[in-house]
Amino acid sequence: MEEFVIATLRYGTPLVYVTLAGVLAQRAGVWNLGLEGLMIIGCCAAVLGLVQTGSLLFGMALAVALCVIASALLWFVIEKLRANPIIAGLGMTGLGLGGTDLAVQAIYGSQATVNAPYGLPRLGTEFGDFGVLSVLVAAMPFVVFAFWALLRRTRFGLQLAASGEHPFAARSVGVSPARMRLIALCVGGVLCALGGAELALGSLTIFAYGMTAGRGFMAFSAVIFGAGHPIASVAASLFFAIVGALGIRAQLVFGDRVPNDLLLALPYIATVIGIWISARLRGGAKAASAFGELRDY
Amino acid sequence: MNTGGQREAAVIEAIPSEAPSPSALQCRDISVQYGEVAALVGVSLAFAPKLIHAVVGQNGAGKTTFARVAAGLVKPVSGTLAIGGKEIPTGNVGLARAAGVELVHQNFALPPSFTVAEAMEFGAERGRPFFSRRGLEARWKKHLENLGVRAGLRDRIRDLPVEAQQGVEIARALVADAKVLILDEPTAVLSPSGIETLFERLKSLKASGVTIILILHKIREVLGIADTVTVLRGGRLVEGPVAARATNARRLSASIIGAQAEQEIAGDEAALVGATDEIKAAPVPAAVSQAAPVLAMERVFTRSDSEGPGLEEASLSIGRGEIVGVAGVEGNGQRTLVRVLANLVDAQSGRILLGGEDITKTPLSERRARGLRVIPFERNSEGLSLSSALWENWSARQLVLGSALKLINPARYRKACDASLKEWDVRYHTTAQPAGSLSGGNAQKLILAREIDADASLIIAAQPTRGLDVGATAFVWRALREARARGCAVLVISSDLDELFDISDRLIVMLSGRIVAEFRPPYRLGEVGAAMTGAH
Amino acid sequence: MTARLFAVGRAIAFVILALALCGVIFEFAGYSAPEMFQSIADGAFLNPGAWQGSLRWALPLFITATGVIISFRSGYFNVGAQGQFYIGAIGTTFVVDFMNGYPAALVIPLCFIAGIAGGAIWALWPGLLRVRSGADEVITTLMGNFIAGLILIYVTGGILKDPSGTGQVMASRPVAPAYRISSETGLSPTIVGAAIVVGVVMWILVNRSAFGVLAGLAGRNPIMIVWQGARMSRLGLAGFMLGGGLAGLAGAMEVLGPNGRLVSGFLPTLGFTAILIALVAGLSISGAAIVSLFFGGLASASLYLPVLAGLPAAAIDIINAAIALFITARAAPGLGWLAARRRAVGGA
Repeated sequence: MEEFVIATLRYGTPLVYVTLAGVLAQRAGVWNLGLEGLMIIGCCAAVLGLVQTGSLLFGMALAVALCVIASALLWFVIEKLRANPIIAGLGMTGLGLGGTDLAVQAIYGSQATVNAPYGLPRLGTEFGDFGVLSVLVAAMPFVVFAFWALLRRTRFGLQLAASGEHPFAARSVGVSPARMRLIALCVGGVLCALGGAELALGSLTIFAYGMTAGRGFMAFSAVIFGAGHPIASVAASLFFAIVGALGIRAQLVFGDRVPNDLLLALPYIATVIGIWISARLRGGAKAASAFGELRDY
Repeated sequence: MNTGGQREAAVIEAIPSEAPSPSALQCRDISVQYGEVAALVGVSLAFAPKLIHAVVGQNGAGKTTFARVAAGLVKPVSGTLAIGGKEIPTGNVGLARAAGVELVHQNFALPPSFTVAEAMEFGAERGRPFFSRRGLEARWKKHLENLGVRAGLRDRIRDLPVEAQQGVEIARALVADAKVLILDEPTAVLSPSGIETLFERLKSLKASGVTIILILHKIREVLGIADTVTVLRGGRLVEGPVAARATNARRLSASIIGAQAEQEIAGDEAALVGATDEIKAAPVPAAVSQAAPVLAMERVFTRSDSEGPGLEEASLSIGRGEIVGVAGVEGNGQRTLVRVLANLVDAQSGRILLGGEDITKTPLSERRARGLRVIPFERNSEGLSLSSALWENWSARQLVLGSALKLINPARYRKACDASLKEWDVRYHTTAQPAGSLSGGNAQKLILAREIDADASLIIAAQPTRGLDVGATAFVWRALREARARGCAVLVISSDLDELFDISDRLIVMLSGRIVAEFRPPYRLGEVGAAMTGAH
Repeated sequence: MTARLFAVGRAIAFVILALALCGVIFEFAGYSAPEMFQSIADGAFLNPGAWQGSLRWALPLFITATGVIISFRSGYFNVGAQGQFYIGAIGTTFVVDFMNGYPAALVIPLCFIAGIAGGAIWALWPGLLRVRSGADEVITTLMGNFIAGLILIYVTGGILKDPSGTGQVMASRPVAPAYRISSETGLSPTIVGAAIVVGVVMWILVNRSAFGVLAGLAGRNPIMIVWQGARMSRLGLAGFMLGGGLAGLAGAMEVLGPNGRLVSGFLPTLGFTAILIALVAGLSISGAAIVSLFFGGLASASLYLPVLAGLPAAAIDIINAAIALFITARAAPGLGWLAARRRAVGGA
């Protein structure tokens, strides 16, 4: 049982951080499909920064800085150039995947996996079996609570939600939805960096091409599933993590008797089912998804 | 501005010259440009403090733009703005609010998912930025009570009736220390008694020292409440502020419409001025057929949904050559009525008969094939695809009827569209231009050209004149009367009672999804108004 | 006409902006941007024989892109072309594997049908979830891509596995020569002919049929067309399944044509690139024919770069991604559709 909880937390913690980034963007009215790309930039920058300088702090700082810059670029394209957020987000994802690939090849000359000498600090033996988890796992509940409080119990949170739901209302009380979106995306960039760093340095201490494997999209789905509510969305992402951990567990238990590749598909299938359920519960967007376009009014 | 002499005299009367206190709101030479359209041209105005000022004009006269400039929401290309004698930068909501200017929007600017307490808080400027749910409610309870707004603090905005939403919006505008409160068309969505409540509220605000600027278009309402009147036309200041008691309905309507246009639309002045207590009905058509009705709804019941309450046992019949008007405060099931007739919502029970045949389960395309035509509520979303070409919009009705795999020759449709639009007097360059490039009146004519054809037997016109100027409005009514003369049954939904009184052969009133009353001419405003609010 | 030229100009301007961003990234990563662009141009168009390579990639991209155009035009963001391509390819491989020995005149058409059906089925379920329940099609089709990729790994490592394979690359048994429709060059009368037929049929469907006009209206304003009595669910499903079917057809042609067998994870960027072609072409079929050549050139260059120029192929992914980032910027051609829809839906 403990093993299973640990597996779930390992799978789920990066997902939770990135989900929070998605929640911020969603509440500000941006469909952020660039989460996948931002997350892998976080993975790559943290590992390469650590490997190249030997300093974990530098790696983390590099991850945060690059993710924030990439988020600001995405904001510029969506808000200022008025690009379609979904396509631009997919472009950002492609840029993250391609850019990290290019960076690894530029440094190492091949697409090989990069091994880090060590990872994030662990909780340590006083936590028993849970000691193998990183500090970011332990911090996760507090971060979730902090963002819940920020989004649901502060005026800033209300203004952010107004910017997404009814931008004209926000503007008519003097709040700039554009600035709110910039803040939401950049803070989301920090969260993506943390999620990426946890994925690469939490338990694995490696960077491999495409290692996020759709987790950014899963986080986005969790946001849709949770209707942009921080707690509900985080719960949805933990649900996907449980499914993922079950798949891993099944591989260990059943070995070759079940097709491993299909077990790997479980989280994606769970995501589809989650989206379907949430659409059924809320009536869905039968006619007009408006292609995720930003709203001015 | 040939009224110059009078105007100056009136200004002097309204605003004591060499006033000790500066104007509550003063703008000089404001011009606003939307793309190629000049929304305001060199408007200079000063409003004296602690009075109720009305700003009137037709649709498109620049009233809303003026309100938004004053509130800092729209940045003018030129001009200055001063609040309480102090000049503030234009186009900055924060500074305008800090100076005490608040704007209540026509369609309410509150996020629908917010609770009332949250809607109060998100626009507040002082106080702790963190709150607990209970603390938030405690904080705003008193404020709402003082203003007499009846709404639970936990109610969601989207669940409130329009009157309460407006109350909340006004309360929201007053969370800060408002000195100038601007209301954009606040009466458009209210019932007659709702309007009275609103006016009482405004009078008590005025007594407490708030300067109120009301954007209105009904002269009757203006003369009933305002201390001064200002008229805009085509983005220019025509006259004002003049003291309300120094003017009269006739003079105001003349300056709203403009002298040269006056002859064309003389008959529609009543709609502009607003009904006095009683208004003469349109002449009853020569022969309302006694044969089977074109449309018969029998005890139709639908579920309520996000777009409004469901219908409860709605029964209605319309005969050939008859125009039936639907009155009611917005959101009382009018949308559902139109949607159930268009098969966009299912009837849970009851029957709908079109031309004597049961169409309760028939899809819309089939209903349209049998002569149903719909002019929907929202011209720009339900009526037209703004980015599609005129000919595509025009041919949609015919294309839907045939097989989707039918090969077509676009040139033929363009030609037919061209001929039809010419007949309907639509002003356009080419049938390939997007529908969004048409003015509101021309866009509505395009919809009429599509929906009113020789095969139409029942025409549903939902808010067909909303947002149109006087000329286009007159055109729409003429078209519907002509359709009636050809034997069409017509169902008209409007929130403008004066228009309904003018055109309807019969009038039904909807309240909470029920058809609560039916009237025949002559209509009495008092009776119809009472039915709209359930006091019937 | 001037509007059209203006739109083309905007598209080119944003592609150039994207290339500039790529130049910055290349320099930042320590490569010489001019050298990189020179090598890409060489690999795509300038070297002798480069045009054949570009055309080889342009054809499947064009076929897939026409499908994307249909579903985008009818108002649905079907971004699952990659998965639909894979499932189509798998369907084809099953047919060719189990019908080994039958005459080619029977097997090849069946393979095409299987490919189209496979792609259409992989578009059907997100389509149904969308029109019946309103489940967001962007996520379901994206997830469909991941699932299809795993199914591809599963079948190439299991049921369809080539027993003589080395184990390094999972792949199916090679397609028997009798059923091949082209050699490795990917250029044969069958393939070119199929692409032309698809292009002409889709052009007629978009520009000369009631479906084209209605889908166009639905794509720009789904609400209006519903009030006209059209059934969005049918239009939408038709768009979805046509899109999936065409991606599946491209899959069939890859298996029977240049690839000659089913390979795990093959052509991993085809779906995304097809979406880009559709958007850069402003959702026009004739435009897509030209734009496909450009992206076909880039695809061809991504093979050339690591082998002959010693540069990473990731450069091409970055160029594609950067174009995606910018191409829908307002008033760019593809965007007219999207922006207009926003206005129609949110219009004040």
